[in-house]
Amino acid sequence: MTTQHTTGHTSGISGAEIRLEEVVKRYPGQKTAAVESLSLTIPAGEIVMFVGPSGCGKTTSLKMINRLIEPTSGTILIDGEDVRKSSADELRRKIGYVIQGGSLFPHMTVAKNIAIVPKMLGWDASRVKGRVDDLLDLVGLDPSRYRDRYPRELSGGQQQRVGVARGLAADPPVILMDEPFGAVDPITRQRLQDELLSIQRELRKTIVCVTHDIDEAIKLGDRIVILREGGHIAQYDTPEVVLASPADDFVSDFVGSGSTLKQLSLARVNEVDLRETVTARIGEPTADAVQRAEAAGERSVIVLDDRDRPRGWPWLRQLKGDRIVEPTEDLVTVDERSTLNDALDTMLTSSHGAAVVTGDRDRYIGIVTFDTVTDHMRLLEDRAVEDRAHEQAAGERA
Amino acid sequence: MSATSDATASAGATVDPTGEAPAAKRRGRRLDPEMLLLLVLPPVLVALAFGAWVVWRQTADLDSVEQSQLAWSTVTSLMVEHVKLTVVAGLLVVAVAVPLGIALTRGRLKAASPVVVGLANAGQAAPAVGLIVLLALWLGFGFGTAIIALVVYGVLPVLRNTIVGLQGVDPTLVEAGRGIGMTSASVLLRVELPLALPVIMSGVRTALVLIVGTAALATFIDAGGLGAMIVSGINLFRNSLVVSGALLVALLALLVEWLGRVLEFVARPKGV
Amino acid sequence: MWDFIRERQDQLLYNAFQHFSLVMQAVLVASVLAVLLAVVIVRYSWLQGLANALSAIGLTIPALALVGVMLALTGIQPISAFVAVAFYALLPVLRNAVVGLQGVDPTLVESARGMGMSPLAVLWRVRLPLAWPVIHAGVRTSTQMAMGIAAIAAYILGPGLGGYIFTGLAQIGGANAVNYALVATLGIVLVALVADVLLLLLGRLTISKGIRA
Repeated sequence: MTTQHTTGHTSGISGAEIRLEEVVKRYPGQKTAAVESLSLTIPAGEIVMFVGPSGCGKTTSLKMINRLIEPTSGTILIDGEDVRKSSADELRRKIGYVIQGGSLFPHMTVAKNIAIVPKMLGWDASRVKGRVDDLLDLVGLDPSRYRDRYPRELSGGQQQRVGVARGLAADPPVILMDEPFGAVDPITRQRLQDELLSIQRELRKTIVCVTHDIDEAIKLGDRIVILREGGHIAQYDTPEVVLASPADDFVSDFVGSGSTLKQLSLARVNEVDLRETVTARIGEPTADAVQRAEAAGERSVIVLDDRDRPRGWPWLRQLKGDRIVEPTEDLVTVDERSTLNDALDTMLTSSHGAAVVTGDRDRYIGIVTFDTVTDHMRLLEDRAVEDRAHEQAAGERA
Repeated sequence: MSATSDATASAGATVDPTGEAPAAKRRGRRLDPEMLLLLVLPPVLVALAFGAWVVWRQTADLDSVEQSQLAWSTVTSLMVEHVKLTVVAGLLVVAVAVPLGIALTRGRLKAASPVVVGLANAGQAAPAVGLIVLLALWLGFGFGTAIIALVVYGVLPVLRNTIVGLQGVDPTLVEAGRGIGMTSASVLLRVELPLALPVIMSGVRTALVLIVGTAALATFIDAGGLGAMIVSGINLFRNSLVVSGALLVALLALLVEWLGRVLEFVARPKGV
Repeated sequence: MWDFIRERQDQLLYNAFQHFSLVMQAVLVASVLAVLLAVVIVRYSWLQGLANALSAIGLTIPALALVGVMLALTGIQPISAFVAVAFYALLPVLRNAVVGLQGVDPTLVESARGMGMSPLAVLWRVRLPLAWPVIHAGVRTSTQMAMGIAAIAAYILGPGLGGYIFTGLAQIGGANAVNYALVATLGIVLVALVADVLLLLLGRLTISKGIRA
């Protein structure tokens, strides 16, 4: 299997390294420590997932990084600097913080929510406004439409997007996330995860994210920290290694068995061959698009907007009128860093037997088909058989 | 922010003298520290304060005016008058408001309940002293007029809480009652009213406190009560009388509020 | 009655304004005090039971009793009426402010802290705006109640329309007795209505659209 996660990184790393050195958190009156000597280095520009059963100290560990919880002892360094060097408030303004449901302030508009930290940092009004619009754009919300709305006028997924935008607002090198996608339905969660991956590809922040969902950890994480009670690290490695060789029974129980289907959550869409298909642009003459499609032997076209974002995938017979109009359907797409598992889920709900793949800023790249995924599964199985044969041979030799 | 709607509901144009969230919420409340404090603190406070006042009354150097006004017989008769005003008005309030409240949750009259409550709310905004004086100018001075004014003033909280309490009864329970063959009257008596009782009692307590306080104004229309002591103290420039009257009315109000709370606590059906 | 009103137009208006201004000033001071107290009470949970019990007890004290005590303490001065009215106005606001501040979602407070807001900024920019609808409702209750209290206070202490009620009482049998009492009572209802409309308007202006009911 490949460990290549960094396909297509063109921009530089903007994140900072975080180091925890023998960090302890003990609450008065409690016999056992919540976190008992945690040492850990989180490389700059990576997503590191803290995962483990409830009570393992993952949230406590996260909150010690921005000093919402003060460690009893030990040191935490961000970019080589002790977090206790400046005041807790100053520190937190330089660390993004995203929590479940977005936790937006209901009495402030979307724009005001996002602008809080930049304003506290003394940015001037025009810079703040520009930043808010950029961020809304980045998380896939049209600024002119959503800027002045109040949180209650947004769906759960949209609120969470604004929550992410707010965490990114002052362009902090480090972002902490606590169960960021815990409060939304599975389909929305998958989309939000895809978007986060797409944003991260562009920004390369250091993201520390707490989750109780191993699948989310595998999907999002460049590395996974599996914690057991008392904040002990059971394993700290890339998802591939964690899946392929769990450190102990605790980890393998927690991760679950490594079936082929599980392996699909390791393979990313950008590792398989994408197919090209015919695209049409909103506003172009329908006849042209139909002609192109028929010439290519396709029975459908993918409709893109002026920023190359796929908006619909109509059959040719559904195209009415002189010009292509903006589709009303709610097209579900997958990000190129999504897992094949997600892609499979998406295409099962699509009548095309395929899923539209997007890259940075939701731009269209191609489609992934059912056949591609089954081919890949066969490949994985063959490889597994080979591996077993190797092991057997090795065993016989020994 | 579940409290928002409660607080807003109790606000409106209503003047709830205890300023509490509507009673519906307090059902099923356990004996928490606050409740305990409210059950224990007032009688202790009242006993201590009354004791202190008695000691002062016995030992203080009183002039002749004070002596006649604070004679035990005078004090006792004023207190009896005040209690009589409160009790009679309180009973009449219950006799008027509870049946009215029941009627307003039944059949076609249901639609009228917001109108009636709205009207009652608006009436509550009229100052008590103005209402009493106007009624007296119209109906003449005396006990009867004072009682009418006090009843008009006390009806609203009981009416409102009766309606809220009955509306708060789980409709499936009513259906279940009907389902096992109870008549609508026996469902009302044996299911709805017992379940709504704590809420209604809390309204009665609120009303009683309102009435005790307002009864102090009865003296302006020659209907007696402890207000007389305050007013004569003011007229005769005797602060001792003013403070004595104020203290005794306040103690009586506290006692009534406490009694209401005890009744409310006892009326709570077991297991709710 | 129209002649009665027309003859005393200026005087009536002046007294209505006095009534209004006494109540509004008392409510304003009481509200500020109540919110400050509520912030402290919410901070220390053991104070909550005590504060609730004391405010319930405080509201049972009859207005005439308190007015009498204020007279004994400070004599006949405008400040006496002010203190008596403010005392009653304080309690509903206090109660609602405690409820409102307690109702603020703790994750929002943590979120604000996590973004680097100082405790004071969290209070001013997050907790108070979120509790404000509930506090505002308390202020409205207080204002209505204070209108009636001010009428009683006028008996001995203060300015306002309440005095006319007692003039009517004193002139019993006289031609204008009913006029005095009626005009004063209706006047107070009217002033209360105006105050409530103004407070509703204030609510429209100050309660964020994002949390308005």
